[in-house]
Amino acid sequence: MAEEKKGRAVATSTAAKIPKFVRGNLSATLKAKEEGKKVAAAFIADGQDEIMRAMDIVPAWGESFSGVCAAKRDAEKYLQKAESDNFSRSLCTYATCNIGFDMMREELGGATPEGAPWGGMGRPDMMLGNGQLLCDPRFKWPQATQHYQQDVPVFVTNMYYPPWDPNADHHEQEAIYVKYAADELRETVKFCEKITGKKMDWDRLAATVELSDKTWDLFIDTYELRKHIPTPMDTGDAMNTMVPLTFNLGTQEAYDFYVDLNAELRQKIADGVGVANPEKYRIIWAAGLPSWFALGDFQYFNGKGVVFPVEVTYRGCEKIERLDLPKTNDPLEHIAWRWVRYWTHWYDAAKKRPGSTPKVERIIEYIEDYKCDGAVFHSAFSCRSWHAGIMQQAATLKKVYKDIPILIMEGDIVDISSYNEADTHNRIDAFIETLAASKKRQG
Amino acid sequence: MTDIRDGNGLAAAEKLYTQYGSRARELKASGKKVIGYLSALGPVEIMTAAGVLPIRLKGNVSEAISKGDAYMETIVCPFVRNVFDLAVKGKYDFLDGMVLPHQCDSIDRTNETWSYTLGLPYWHFLNVPHVTDDPSIAFMKEILRIFIKTLEKFTGKAITDQAIADAVKAHNNNRKLMRELYDLRKSNPPLISGSEMMKVLVAAMSIPVEESSALIEAVMKEVKERKPAAANPKAKRIMLIGDQIDDVAVIEAIESTGAYLVMDDLSTGSKMYWQDVDATADPVQGIAERYLRKLKIPTTFVGSADTYQGILEERFGHMKKYVNEFKVDGAILFIYKYCDPYGFEVPAIKSYVEAAGAPVLYLEDEYSTSSLARVKTRIEAFLEMIA
Ligand code: SF4
Ligand code: SF4
Repeated sequence: MAEEKKGRAVATSTAAKIPKFVRGNLSATLKAKEEGKKVAAAFIADGQDEIMRAMDIVPAWGESFSGVCAAKRDAEKYLQKAESDNFSRSLCTYATCNIGFDMMREELGGATPEGAPWGGMGRPDMMLGNGQLLCDPRFKWPQATQHYQQDVPVFVTNMYYPPWDPNADHHEQEAIYVKYAADELRETVKFCEKITGKKMDWDRLAATVELSDKTWDLFIDTYELRKHIPTPMDTGDAMNTMVPLTFNLGTQEAYDFYVDLNAELRQKIADGVGVANPEKYRIIWAAGLPSWFALGDFQYFNGKGVVFPVEVTYRGCEKIERLDLPKTNDPLEHIAWRWVRYWTHWYDAAKKRPGSTPKVERIIEYIEDYKCDGAVFHSAFSCRSWHAGIMQQAATLKKVYKDIPILIMEGDIVDISSYNEADTHNRIDAFIETLAASKKRQG
Repeated sequence: MTDIRDGNGLAAAEKLYTQYGSRARELKASGKKVIGYLSALGPVEIMTAAGVLPIRLKGNVSEAISKGDAYMETIVCPFVRNVFDLAVKGKYDFLDGMVLPHQCDSIDRTNETWSYTLGLPYWHFLNVPHVTDDPSIAFMKEILRIFIKTLEKFTGKAITDQAIADAVKAHNNNRKLMRELYDLRKSNPPLISGSEMMKVLVAAMSIPVEESSALIEAVMKEVKERKPAAANPKAKRIMLIGDQIDDVAVIEAIESTGAYLVMDDLSTGSKMYWQDVDATADPVQGIAERYLRKLKIPTTFVGSADTYQGILEERFGHMKKYVNEFKVDGAILFIYKYCDPYGFEVPAIKSYVEAAGAPVLYLEDEYSTSSLARVKTRIEAFLEMIA
């Protein structure tokens, strides 16, 4: 996802290392067989990262591969292939792009289809899904893929967190959710043990989880450097620098990446180097996956003095101490608590502000901390998970916080057919005018 | 109250269908609390036991969305959007509250849009898992208990195990009666048409369970007394597959061509009625098992067989039975746009049902009659093809 036709120049040199991560993850799936490792088709933000890493299972990230196809504007052939077997164009395009690719690979007897972006992805030995509170494709996609790879077993786990309800005491419910998530993770381990023929090394898992926690903390410390004015890094880069946290959690390389990024941002701050010069408006990317084929739009914003010092998207972690996790010697229970509290730790704040919601509280917190003047949301038509409910968030934000300028952009993550650059730029220009007017009003 | 007498079952169903919610409105006026819910995952037994009237919400395919789009994205499933639009416009102004079961992203991700926009006195999101293993059953029981507690708090009345067991019995009896009515579709021609059946199904989901059972019995008696029509060997026997189809528009499009709609695998139809709740010592156990393991919807399915064919049998085996028992000649798979749960199953269902002997027409559509002409043309072409 770091490489796109329009060649977005990353603002940080550390972000330039991302293609290596993405390529490395893809090629690991192709080399796994030679190395005697098993490959699992897997999803990000599913809580299964450390289990895979501790068992030397190589994750094949379908979302990453589809993102790469989209960034290279080379997804259409796979989308069409899936469509030819009646997968609707309205379904999640990460899934349909990947399924189209898998269908082609099966027709070739397992060989990588010619011209596959960045060498394609290897055939999995198992598919790990998660019926979690994030999205349906996370379990329907593996089930659908099995139609074409019938010998590849599917395992779906389930990790939930208490739904937001201003009248309910989520603290009372947390333990139920944690127990369930931990039980489900145990089922995942059993399944992985069966497929790999190896027993889980629990000490190794505990060490991997500890490394993840450290990475979470370092990630937040690093991103908080972006509070500086002018901001040394914006969302355009963050859509790349999220890769180690999102796809390589539980590895030393991921941790080291943020050490480097941290050092670079500190240096930029010391040197007074910002993303935009001059920095006129600071905006939060308040929700939505980006259009991978149009990351250049961030530069368009930057060129007009607009920067994004913070985003909700892909900030899939939090300072561990803020989550106040109960002590446990069971690494799976720790993952479960971390997962549940990651979501619920905004609930108390939301309760204090009548009419608010945790999602909106999070946006408000970032707006305040990062001194933002407005909010941009992106609504991608093929993904309900992150994008349904955006209008409600935007309306609530205005109602319970203040009347800040908001832009909701519409497009897709992979499918370029709905994208029009000129229209998008016009909408951005109009938004900047609103920002200017709003700033003027505030003096 | 709806007048259900011998000989007027179908007329009563028609009235409840055309004036959807009219009975709920009456009961509300007499002091009963009314709780709306979405999808086949609404645990009606618990609501009945709580002494409230559960009413499954439907949209109106003939009504364009005019207000809901100001609050809810158009990438949400058109059925959910349509119901929401009606709710915003006040069609369901008799509701005291709602339960949204976690069926799919279109429901889950719009929970706050619903609850904050409608601002009803009672609101509950029932977090039904998508996995069916033992930890999931234990979890399902926990969330059902949370649901029970919130209802108790809302109504100010305890929901006893006995009340739940009684409600289970009443709903199981209701399901049994509906299955008997379905049996009357096995003959050639079926004793009850597809559109009559749809009206009964829709009427049944809007009234108290005892009234629903009385309605089904009255309809059954009435149609059994019909003079058997001459069999038409040329008329194709069709099965309709999908989620919430709750209007006769598509069915009339099928039957106006001379075909018979004899069976369905819809969440308003057989999915609701084929599986009973087992009477268990802890009544919540039986309810958890029914909704999670027995109900065959795409978001509560996990295969456990060792082979893909085995998984397909677990997942769609019931459809093969329907094809055989109801002598189905062809199936129409009618899926709403933006529905990931069903959408991802299309190739698997299509090939499975075709292997079971019924050719399949897959249609992706809106929840609206605006595209009906196109749908009708496709159905006609399909029926010609299988003639
Ligand atoms: S979160 Fe959205 S883009 Fe990602 S797999 Fe789910 S539906 Fe697809
Ligand atoms: S039709 Fe699909 S998307 Fe709509 S409510 Fe049903 S399962 Fe959800």
